[in-house]
Amino acid sequence: MRLVDVTRVIRSKNAGPLQVTLDLMFPDRAGFDRAVKANSLTRDAIADLYGVAAETVTVIPYAAAFAIKIVLDRPIIAGTPGDSDVYGAQQHRPLLEIEI
Amino acid sequence: MSAVARLRDSKASINELRALAGSGQLGYGIPETAFKAGLQRKPHFIGCDMGSVDPGPYYLGAGELATSDTVTIRDLRLVLNGAVRSGIPLLIGTAGTAGAKPHLDYTLELMRRVAREEGLSFKLAVVPADVPRDLLKAAIRAGRTRPLGPIEELNEDTVDRASHIVGQMGVDAFLRALDTNPDVIITGRACDTSVFAAIPLMLGFPIASVIHMSKIIECTSICCVPGGRDAMLATLEGDSFVLESMNPQRAATPLSVAAHSLYEQSDPMLVIEPEGVLSVESARFEAVDERRTRVSGAVWQDTTQKTIKLEGAERCGERAVLCAGSCDPRVIANVDAIIDGVRANVADIIPSTPAAPYELIFHVYGRGAVSLFPRKGSSADAEEIFFLVEAIAQTTDVAKAAAGVTKQFLLHHGFPGRLSTGGNIAFPFTPPELSGGSAYRFSIYHLLEIDDDSALFPVHTEIVK
Repeated sequence: MRLVDVTRVIRSKNAGPLQVTLDLMFPDRAGFDRAVKANSLTRDAIADLYGVAAETVTVIPYAAAFAIKIVLDRPIIAGTPGDSDVYGAQQHRPLLEIEI
Repeated sequence: MSAVARLRDSKASINELRALAGSGQLGYGIPETAFKAGLQRKPHFIGCDMGSVDPGPYYLGAGELATSDTVTIRDLRLVLNGAVRSGIPLLIGTAGTAGAKPHLDYTLELMRRVAREEGLSFKLAVVPADVPRDLLKAAIRAGRTRPLGPIEELNEDTVDRASHIVGQMGVDAFLRALDTNPDVIITGRACDTSVFAAIPLMLGFPIASVIHMSKIIECTSICCVPGGRDAMLATLEGDSFVLESMNPQRAATPLSVAAHSLYEQSDPMLVIEPEGVLSVESARFEAVDERRTRVSGAVWQDTTQKTIKLEGAERCGERAVLCAGSCDPRVIANVDAIIDGVRANVADIIPSTPAAPYELIFHVYGRGAVSLFPRKGSSADAEEIFFLVEAIAQTTDVAKAAAGVTKQFLLHHGFPGRLSTGGNIAFPFTPPELSGGSAYRFSIYHLLEIDDDSALFPVHTEIVK
């Protein structure tokens, strides 16, 4: 099953200028439970998907909102010359392709 | 008697405290209908946040506001009239986008102008947030600063180079401002929660529900479905609070409010403040009706070491920008080699030297320019690509020179199989090189350990009339 087919929201945004966070929000507990168990949403799988070291990735399920938060270190501090996404709002794209 | 003094005096009779969150970004346009609906509910105070680190280092570095004079004045007029004419306190945090001295001074100038035009008079408490450089250097030497993520350790040179350095004040600074019994408080850089937490804490409401409420309403109606920017009313009942948007089209539901904990936070379970940490893991969200939600159950833990978040920005240089596109499949297929060749040409003509260094940055849209992370399994070539080339140099002249030479060599660069000898790129307008002004970067994003914040965030008062 594709992740996009069971999510209500897939978004990204800075959490401060040093980190970018990816939020997956599910409409119900079933989708959330399935995603929490998925091999494609582990810390190592996300690190591989984004081409970064696993130590720089945090995956936090948040059951109260049927949501999963993923936090990545930004490769460049927001707004430094060479940055390409000052708000970090377009870094969710790789998640649109994955299966759970 | 001032608005704050009146509120303090009536403390015993306040069982439920109504906080009106007027704006999460004052200066971008406060929806007036919802704000006025909020005033009808007789709030005990109005809070507005005016800043954010989101728009990037430019505003802090340059000392400029991200918002226009026209809309900033309009919003100030709305909230000052609303608060002062109702005799209730108004608190505004992070004046002028970034909350350093020029931002605060300019916002104060606009505020005094609005007061004059509207015939409003009030006692104002002002709390600047600029961090004295000698104090910060002493803290570095004492090992009392640390990075707040992947950024270098703070050193004294970085402190000297920064254009502006601010600290994010917490509720302690607001409580000291409230002690002066003002009608209005305006501050430099501040935690958005403190704007809304200070008065409830002054009146003795429990800190866990106060901080949780503040964290949610500082973004006004973003915690609703559909989310929006309309004023939000929170009614503090003690260990619980009820949320209601002042726009009847927006509903604060248990799920929408819980989900707001995710917004721009690196950990949805924790809210870290200078004075302690709020855990919302055990929070309960219950529907009061289809538009209101009651929240309770968060847990507050005082810290053993108070910390202040520091933000600083330094100038990198002057920026010139080149804009051009291509739809030639051969240019698109060879773009990496073309860029390498052009870089070499430009370096021959304008060498980057220690005396006149510059940096040339290629963003090639249609070739993964938006992604911060390496792209996997890149797909077929795009139909069109866009070159956005930044040149950053110490002077505008060198930046424009580098962008101009890049333009000419990109236009005419030869490569194997080239057909497009009239030019490799199309310019959307002339001149295709634009001056981007000064470029800044965040050089400081660190924590500072403090014992007492009164030296960092002094309170001044004035009578505005």
